[in-house]
Amino acid sequence: MERSRVIELLARKMAGEATQRELEELNELIARYPDSVYYEEILKQLWPNAEDITADYPDVDRIYECHKLRYHNELTDSAMEIPSRNGYSYKTISFIALTACFLFFMGLFYLHSINKNALNTQLIAGKGMRKNIRLPDGTMVWLNADSKLSYNSDIAGKDVRIVHLVGEAFFDVAHHESQPFIVNTEKISVRVLGTAFNIKAYPVDKKSVATLLRGSIELSVNEQPQQKIILNPSEKFELVEGENGVLKTNVTLMIDHITPVRIGGNEYIEEVSWKNNTLVFHNESFEDLKPRLERWFNVKIDFHSAQSKSYRFTGVFKNENIKEALTAMQLIKPFTFNLKAHDVIIY
Amino acid sequence: MPKPSPDLTNLICDIALYNSENAYEKLFKYLFPALYRFCYCLLKSREQAEEIANDVMITLWKNRIKLPEIQNIKVYSFVIARNLCLNAINKTSKKELVFLEDIDVQLVLDTLDPEQLLINDELKKKLEQATHALPSRCKLVFKLIKEDGLSYKETATILNISTKTVDAHLVTAVKKLTAVLKVEFNLM
Repeated sequence: MERSRVIELLARKMAGEATQRELEELNELIARYPDSVYYEEILKQLWPNAEDITADYPDVDRIYECHKLRYHNELTDSAMEIPSRNGYSYKTISFIALTACFLFFMGLFYLHSINKNALNTQLIAGKGMRKNIRLPDGTMVWLNADSKLSYNSDIAGKDVRIVHLVGEAFFDVAHHESQPFIVNTEKISVRVLGTAFNIKAYPVDKKSVATLLRGSIELSVNEQPQQKIILNPSEKFELVEGENGVLKTNVTLMIDHITPVRIGGNEYIEEVSWKNNTLVFHNESFEDLKPRLERWFNVKIDFHSAQSKSYRFTGVFKNENIKEALTAMQLIKPFTFNLKAHDVIIY
Repeated sequence: MPKPSPDLTNLICDIALYNSENAYEKLFKYLFPALYRFCYCLLKSREQAEEIANDVMITLWKNRIKLPEIQNIKVYSFVIARNLCLNAINKTSKKELVFLEDIDVQLVLDTLDPEQLLINDELKKKLEQATHALPSRCKLVFKLIKEDGLSYKETATILNISTKTVDAHLVTAVKKLTAVLKVEFNLM
């Protein structure tokens, strides 16, 4: 029993993990059992000094040379930055290294925050459908046909509430002083606290439109993020992309007042009436109307006569289907149409 | 004469901030032998062990920017070595998955000092035989503490066990050795 205790304590002593108390106990036991000295002596001999062994390894220089040759590429792509090899001063190098480190950590942090704000929830309204949703933070969203809204399901707990929109949506943003609400689209971004506004940004359209009903929004075009545009209530912002150029697009920015249109004794705001299931258009050419009708009724329209493209219409549709709508439009301008499932051909 | 171990913190700073190859060489020469021996007792092949120890070192170099965050470079490199060895073993083994405890660890008691009169070749053989029957984790604990001078805590991290277990393993190993000595020298 005592012997096994001696060994136990010796083991700990050799490992350098024995406490002061255990060392005292060991000394006592050794005094009582002198034989134990042998054990200690032999263990000490078995226990080489860690540094001795390291120094012992004979080939380490040769191995390092091999290692250097083998990983030459990895080792030298930075060796260029070693001061002795080129003209840079020590200070420049350390500055570069520090900057690199800093950028690296910023990158990490950025990636981390991106991850945290990952848009993990998607709402999709197909063609011919409109949806009304309440986001977890209390914001009401009306999603127009053929649109997609992405957000993080934990949006209420974020410092910034970020959503991504493809298509058209009307937002009535719940006011949270410390959590700005940001809508990103392909071409423009909008930053608000608590307002009601409409954004129309269909990828196929040349126009991106933001319309503000109340409150104020800060808007920026993605290509010129430093330029901020503040919209006041009842103003709308339009970004129109010109025809020319894949490389340099000709972009026009416009700020306009919203003017309600009077049709048939009622006043409508064209831009946002869709959320009340009303399609309003005012003096609009058939060609411009085409994508709106296509999305609204989930159809595909083809013009077979150039003349009908330039017809201008003013009107309101509420519960009509495509056939009723086109029939009604025929009363205004002379054209014929052919409806087959989801395809409409206009003559 | 024991070689003073290099100031690891300084070396790592030089490597991470200035890409100092010189510092890397020092780190290499300090860590490589221990890593090599560790890999050798797991893999039992000189070439493979050398290969993996090389890989561990170049991994450190490739991740040099992150090195200053690491608290204990020695433990860190041993953990990399452990993982790479297990990967290598699993690649070649036909069994489903090999764990650390499945590996037959090779313990070598190399005491090269000719002045050590108490331990002759015959006794050394007997001691090695005695340790042969020990469980592999036990052998690894013994090896890491004895040869590499690691602490209980460091050993525990590398082998992924608790410090209590490390202590128990070490005591078991030492008891096994002393049992041989008892017979040999007719001790109490």
